[in-house]
Amino acid sequence: MARILVIDDNADLLQMIRTILESRGKHEVILSAEGQDGLAKAKAAPPDLAIVDVMMPGMTGYEVCRRMRADPATSHVPIIILTARGQEVDRQAALDAGADLYLSKPVTMAELQQHVDDLLARAPRPEAPGGVMALLSLRGGVGVTTLAVNLAATLVRQGEQVCLLDLCPASGNAALQLGLRPDPNWSALALLGTPPGSATIGTYLLNHSSGLRLLAAPFVPIVGDGLPRETVLAAISALQQNFAALVIDLPSALNDVTMAVLDQADIIGLVLTADPPAIQATVGTLQALKPFASKVRIILNQVVPGPSSSAQALQRVLRQPVNGVVPFDPAQAQALARGQPLALFSPTSPLAQAVAGLIPSLRASQGRPAVV
Amino acid sequence: MEVQESGYLAADFFTHSYRISGHVDVRRRALADILNDQTSNFIPLEDAYISPIDRPGEIIATYSASNLVKSNLTVIVVSQSNDALPRKHTYGSYYGTFLHKIFLTVPGFEVVGYLRLSSNLDLRRVLTTGTDEFIAVLDGRVRNSLRPDVTFTGGGVLVNKRHIGALCMAEEE
Repeated sequence: MARILVIDDNADLLQMIRTILESRGKHEVILSAEGQDGLAKAKAAPPDLAIVDVMMPGMTGYEVCRRMRADPATSHVPIIILTARGQEVDRQAALDAGADLYLSKPVTMAELQQHVDDLLARAPRPEAPGGVMALLSLRGGVGVTTLAVNLAATLVRQGEQVCLLDLCPASGNAALQLGLRPDPNWSALALLGTPPGSATIGTYLLNHSSGLRLLAAPFVPIVGDGLPRETVLAAISALQQNFAALVIDLPSALNDVTMAVLDQADIIGLVLTADPPAIQATVGTLQALKPFASKVRIILNQVVPGPSSSAQALQRVLRQPVNGVVPFDPAQAQALARGQPLALFSPTSPLAQAVAGLIPSLRASQGRPAVV
Repeated sequence: MEVQESGYLAADFFTHSYRISGHVDVRRRALADILNDQTSNFIPLEDAYISPIDRPGEIIATYSASNLVKSNLTVIVVSQSNDALPRKHTYGSYYGTFLHKIFLTVPGFEVVGYLRLSSNLDLRRVLTTGTDEFIAVLDGRVRNSLRPDVTFTGGGVLVNKRHIGALCMAEEE
């Protein structure tokens, strides 16, 4: 079953397409009667496929197509242009705008369904959920925890079963950002004689009202190394049995535990700000993470107000694509103080929107175009 | 079941300089009947999408409602042949069992297709008989004279007789 977004100003057509795709194709269908609204829906929860009419008031389907392609959150979504403008020049215009397929009306429902199935089958899909996403920076203060919390919260909003692991022994504050008291937390795991299993680890998780689960870091900084490597790996393995996605907030150190987690991770989000120390730390980190190069994604996080940093310039320095840019969001300070992450409590805020856009870029296979 | 607008016909209207795509309400009358109605000089269009003729794939403006001046239209392209015929000639009519291949010119365009007639083709009679301003060319191909790579095809093409420069009998292939 796929999520299909249909954008068309004809209400009868929308209902007809919904009926067919839901009943025969067993797909989940989201409807939108105009381009701007359709774009917002696509961005908030990227569909597996979009069917877009060309002739719509306000914004044409070509423009919808171009904007979806330009947005990191929706750039990967296969698009079918379905239009009454059925000439060869229109087909070319649709393909130029970024559509994968062009169909002119009238089209039979069987034909439409066949094209939907074909496109879904051959579409380059983001890697399946169920991955372990580890976020890291060797430079503190670049917003790794904020991104990890909002990333996990966004995945929950998108319907995934998610657990957030805060592995920072000194400054972990994921629980604080979620408005939770970090009790229990993972400090007691270190005292267990054996690596934790699935049932044991469940008793250490905090419940957030959104459905997000959290393995919190202790409130008081740990003196020493924190959790042993074997315990962390066992915890990850146990949590993978119960959660579709794990988001891990890693400490700012490439120690044994961090390297072991990076080895287990499906995606490594390397977070940096645009200041020279953070860039220098990232260049060094990229060298150290060469064995994991294929799963490293670069995230530029703007934690202070001011002009937007140039991702292109950063790409030239790092010699690596920047996979996502998160803008400065003045609302973040208040969200932190209230323990209400923007991704859950203000999903239209710039930060929440950018984090939602990050997910497809993070999950996309290496080799896809850089999204900046 | 087909995906299309019910009661409204999508058509491409061409003037000398523009392509205007939109929907015509054909619940009461066929497009050909609306065009040939001598009591109105205009044709109302819902959702007009306007493209310059040299960039016919690019939509430069959209309007929810518009009126087109019939006398300034050169050709109209529709996807189904029946949609280009007057209502009395559709739905199993025996009118016009002979198909004659023709070539004609209007300002900016060349049109190739078939005339459906009840007799042999008489070029003079096609242009002079009857009061209809628009004639239906079936299985038509409209080519931009200045950009021959740009063509528009449709099951039916309605051509404004007043704008025809040359009407020729074409050889059957």
